[in-house]
Amino acid sequence: MRFRKLRLKNWKNFEDTGEVEIPDRLFLVGPNASGKSNFLDAFRFLHDLAASFQEAVARRGGVGALRCLAARRDSDIELRAELEGQEGKRWTYEVAFNQDKQRPPLLKREFVALNGQTLLDRPNDDDRADPDRLTQTYLEQVNVNREFRDLATFFASIRYLHIVPQLVREPDRSVGRTHDPFGGDFLEQVAKTPERTRQSRLGRIKAALQVAIPQLQEIELWRDARGTPHLRGKYEHWRARGAWQTEGQFSDGTLRLMGILWAVMDGQGPLLLEEPELSLHPGVVRVLPQMLARAQRRTGRQVFLSTHSPDLLNDEGIGLDEVLLLIPGREGTEVRTAGSQQDICALLAGGLPLADAIIPMTAPGQAAQLALFADK
Amino acid sequence: MSMLNQLVISAAVEGSVDEAVIRRLIGHVGLTPGPIYGKKGKDDLRKKIRAYNLAAQHAPWVILVDLDNDADCALALRQAWLSNPAPNLCFRVAVRQVEAWLMADRETLAKFLGIPQDKIPNNPEGLPNAKREMAKLAQASRSREIRDDMARRPGSGCAVGPAYPSRLIEYAQKHWRPAVAAQRADSLRRAIACLKQLSACLKQPSR
Repeated sequence: MRFRKLRLKNWKNFEDTGEVEIPDRLFLVGPNASGKSNFLDAFRFLHDLAASFQEAVARRGGVGALRCLAARRDSDIELRAELEGQEGKRWTYEVAFNQDKQRPPLLKREFVALNGQTLLDRPNDDDRADPDRLTQTYLEQVNVNREFRDLATFFASIRYLHIVPQLVREPDRSVGRTHDPFGGDFLEQVAKTPERTRQSRLGRIKAALQVAIPQLQEIELWRDARGTPHLRGKYEHWRARGAWQTEGQFSDGTLRLMGILWAVMDGQGPLLLEEPELSLHPGVVRVLPQMLARAQRRTGRQVFLSTHSPDLLNDEGIGLDEVLLLIPGREGTEVRTAGSQQDICALLAGGLPLADAIIPMTAPGQAAQLALFADK
Repeated sequence: MSMLNQLVISAAVEGSVDEAVIRRLIGHVGLTPGPIYGKKGKDDLRKKIRAYNLAAQHAPWVILVDLDNDADCALALRQAWLSNPAPNLCFRVAVRQVEAWLMADRETLAKFLGIPQDKIPNNPEGLPNAKREMAKLAQASRSREIRDDMARRPGSGCAVGPAYPSRLIEYAQKHWRPAVAAQRADSLRRAIACLKQLSACLKQPSR
């Protein structure tokens, strides 16, 4: 299954995005705080929603924290996704919710359609008879989601990754979390993977890393005396037999690249990456779009990422329909595909690389003022 | 020359496919590629060419740029860009895109793309846009993977497919035969000759 369209209303930075076409690969660009992460968070929200509506909202600080600042007071938050499944099945999922003071968040609407036929339209008579039912989606309940369980399974398969190297090195800080998006349980995840799969993935990661780090000879999972898993790598060295280093000594870039490569091989659902360029050499960053394009051709999974990197955007295989520009304004952030911008198309026709056409549109107008920050 | 006793040559190119090609050519004439500069498009290369030329007064350099439709012939473009190249600089122009050089080895390219050999133009340097032609050839591929990776995706506003560069790099690295291609692409033949001459000069013990 794949996302095809998404519409967000009153969701964080977005008062109303309108219908946004979602291609197989998505590059989100925009100034700082324009809502790139919050756009990705809409997908994570759907992921969380498949487990628990209440928790999905609570984890984000409640409806008040989710609602767009530009929204009218107390207006509902709405997400609407259109998806394409196997054999061309067209799915629609829509959810709207709100929250009264001192009350748990309540659904205002939950709607599911398959090929234009309504499968679910809430609130229904049962909900009206017992409003407490509106504290849960049908999506999260196995006993009522049978007709659209594929949808719930698909949402649950969405993966988000933003590896924070410090958390990988000190997993204690995120103890007990599984699939921690910041990499706190990354080593646990690697350790839990069946050995043959793990070996084969680490082998591929080693081969890929050797391009960036030629001294690297081996990578393996290793448990210390207390049984705690570590990744360690063997580096070619002036000592004849090389030297082993564990993740504690890996560079930030090595850890982040390992995390990205692992995530690309792990799972089937959409993969969300937050600024994958961080800590990486521009020469490596430049190749990421190609790596993702080829990985996704093989696996069919969608990849959505946010970026500030000209090196990443300069890849000549990136289509204008794959780039979403987030442009903040008084009425919240506007979302436009690069292809809808005639000026961008003109700049490209005139020979500008994609990044040169796009990055200036997303740069803060007064950035130069920042230089004066420490002046009296 | 270098710490490793190899003859190292620096290069400046427009993009990643050009990089793969120039690396092959440097290896082909028995030199070792050093740092590869540029890779930010043609305009960027032109802006920096004086700096590259200056650097070439101290170490060997090669610059590769596509002719495109910027000038009638390679010579005109070279003179417009750089009237006074350093002796250690090999400034080469691909007619009209580096894709033409890759297309000039028809046999291996046909196999790589999964198309009949006679679909590949006989005179690649005569193509007004070899990149577009390459994407079109990929469109006719028997392999779905090649089509998905390389052929233009409708609605993308992009001349080539999403994994076009990495596919061509793969081809340039593993299959392309510069010596064979040189027989069908004169600008390539001259580029190889220029690099060979530079290589021979560098290898003279008097230096």
